[in-house]
Amino acid sequence: MAVQDTETDSRLGVDLGAGLTLKNPVMPASGCFGPEMGTLFDLGQLGALVPKTIFYGERAGNPAPRTAESPAGMLNSIGIPSRGVEHFLTELLPEYTKYDSPVIVSIGGLGIEEYDRLAERLNGEPGVAGLEVNISCPNLEAGGMEIGASPANVERVLRGVSDRFDGPVIAKLTPNITSIADIAKASEQGGATAISAINTLSGMVIDVDNQRTVTGTMTGGVSGPAIRPIAVRMVWQVCSAVSLPVVGIGGITSAKDALEFILAGATAVAVGTANFTRPTTMLDVIEGLKTYVETHHLSSIDDVRGQLEEGMRVAIEPPRPATPVSGRAG
Amino acid sequence: MTSELLDANGTIPVFAGTHVPQLRLPSSVRLEVMQTNGHHAPAATFVETEIISNEEIAPEHYLMRVRSEALANGEPGQFGVIRPGSATDIHPILPRPMAVYQYDKAACTADFVYRVVGYGTAAMAQRRAGDIVEIVGPVGRPFPISDTTNGILIVGRGIGVCSLTTLIDEANRRNIEIYAVFSARNKDVVLGKDMIKKARGNALYVDDSDGSSDVENVEPWISEIIESGRVQQAYVCGSNRLIELVTRLAAPADVETYVSLEAHMACGLGYCHSCATGAFGESAESPLVCRDGPVFRCHPAGVTV
Ligand SMILES: Cc1cc2nc3c(=O)[nH]c(=O)nc-3n(C[C@H](O)[C@H](O)[C@H](O)COP(=O)(O)OP(=O)(O)OC[C@H]3O[C@@H](n4cnc5c(N)ncnc54)[C@H](O)[C@@H]3O)c2cc1C
Ligand SMILES: Cc1cc2nc3c(=O)[nH]c(=O)nc-3n(C[C@H](O)[C@H](O)[C@H](O)COP(=O)(O)O)c2cc1C
Ligand code: FES
Repeated sequence: MAVQDTETDSRLGVDLGAGLTLKNPVMPASGCFGPEMGTLFDLGQLGALVPKTIFYGERAGNPAPRTAESPAGMLNSIGIPSRGVEHFLTELLPEYTKYDSPVIVSIGGLGIEEYDRLAERLNGEPGVAGLEVNISCPNLEAGGMEIGASPANVERVLRGVSDRFDGPVIAKLTPNITSIADIAKASEQGGATAISAINTLSGMVIDVDNQRTVTGTMTGGVSGPAIRPIAVRMVWQVCSAVSLPVVGIGGITSAKDALEFILAGATAVAVGTANFTRPTTMLDVIEGLKTYVETHHLSSIDDVRGQLEEGMRVAIEPPRPATPVSGRAG
Repeated sequence: MTSELLDANGTIPVFAGTHVPQLRLPSSVRLEVMQTNGHHAPAATFVETEIISNEEIAPEHYLMRVRSEALANGEPGQFGVIRPGSATDIHPILPRPMAVYQYDKAACTADFVYRVVGYGTAAMAQRRAGDIVEIVGPVGRPFPISDTTNGILIVGRGIGVCSLTTLIDEANRRNIEIYAVFSARNKDVVLGKDMIKKARGNALYVDDSDGSSDVENVEPWISEIIESGRVQQAYVCGSNRLIELVTRLAAPADVETYVSLEAHMACGLGYCHSCATGAFGESAESPLVCRDGPVFRCHPAGVTV
């Protein structure tokens, strides 16, 4: 489908560490993608495929309605309806491995042990190129607080998974914390080989006429362009705190958006909400990155990673005030 | 064709255990997921196409006609998810599910009729002929019409009529008698009249202004048609009271009843799980309106299938 220019194509290749190399840095965000998209375009064009988070056993999602809109974004309270790992391996995984892209399996748990069990079960399964550990799940053993909110828990979960799974382990961070740098460091210490950020930001939307929340739950996760500046900032902080490759996620709708994350330090990017209105957004991003590599004469997209300077570049020296503004010095 | 949905016995089999939990439906009605039995409705595509026209056809109601071979070849009851604004708009971010009102396979067009109810439909109404619109479609399981059917009953209210109108053309093409009840809040927005006229169908148009839309008023008409054996399948959309009524009257006469449901959607394809039919307190995910529906079979509650 896309024009095959092998030379340019190879300049989009990236390395996510632990042997996980991608033909281009663009993948879908977990929960915003499925093999159903395979009737729309060849999914083998993507850098990697990421299914929705699975749990070990079968679980229902949240009450309807599960999605609503917010300014330049959306709120979701889907929860993680899952048929469990065995159903995933026999019924769903074969739908993903048909394509010429590595499959990164997203795993979740409602307690620390569940992650261990999933890692053990998925280890050595053909077609599983790596794991993404979704630590935004509520920890039922700790009153429902997100597992990813505590550095100690994060380190423990990542250690459990990386001890049991021989392959790339990506920690997917929640933004609903005070210091994302601390959580990133805890992931690295636990043995994560890469980091993805960010998951949805906890939010609320209220219907004032009916005096109810707009989804079936009190709070939901905000995603889409509305969260992009926050996501870019967090990715930059993560990249400054650890030396692991990072997958930047949050509100990407174009190659320009993706480049913001790459300049902030991300090695790859994932597209979520934008897939709903425009399922080919990921192909647009790949094409746009190719153009960028060509027009900037780069030998690899990696050449711009983290190439960020502070402040605006101004062509003309701005006029200085004749006298310093009093009391504002420094 | 849609008739392949039926098995050899001419009945609609159901998946064991896929009883659909109630989605704001009357408790007297129970839904079942239709089995596809190897029938593959046209697969979804991503369509970026030109708007041919987008005109107001009644107060607050618009008809958007788009050019697309994929959409024009959809089946009755299928729908599309439409981005309300242009490709560069970041608000609203979600597409809107809209039933196809009419297909024109020869001209490669599909029509959507929508009512402006909020931000997204208001943005749709701003689009002009020549603008590019993004649609994922056709999606969803279509209404089945059996090979042995020689009469159908179509009952719709308000914008719900738009999910049913593609049945009119299909039935007409197959020389199937059409009986319709179309209900609305007032006389200027009774939809589907033009299509009934073209197909020379029998229709009862009712509205709230004179009380003609009261269930007690339409019941004798529907009941007479069902009891006379003129219809074998019935299709309902847009009103809980009408769904309840038709299900109740149709079951004793062995007339199969189908309903098209609504739910908040994001992907329209079955991967995001926005549109589950309701799963509160259940241990497993319930069927999805976009992928397992929007058309479901209706039974009176208490009847086991
Ligand atoms: C299968 C299907 C077919 C439909 N066919 C038609 C049709 O032919 N003509 C028509 O006018 N309408 C149809 N609808 C309803 C239509 O999708 C909503 O009226 C529309 O989404 C409202 O968007 P809004 O932004 O104007 O309203 P808002 O209330 O501002 O919407 C806010 C959010 O809620 C969602 N939402 C609100 N109401 C509904 C609803 N009733 N169903 C689903 N999502 C909703 C919106 O998509 C949006 O994400 C259909 C719905 C479904 C599920
Ligand atoms: C409907 C929906 C479902 C999601 N489900 C998951 C999930 O199962 N696991 C996960 O790690 N993230 C999930 N996410 C979060 C996304 O993967 C992504 O991190 C987030 O939406 C931000 O990216 P975006 O702005 O591009 O959507 C979900 C997001 C949405 C909107
Ligand atoms: S709308 Fe996404 S699963 Fe139905």
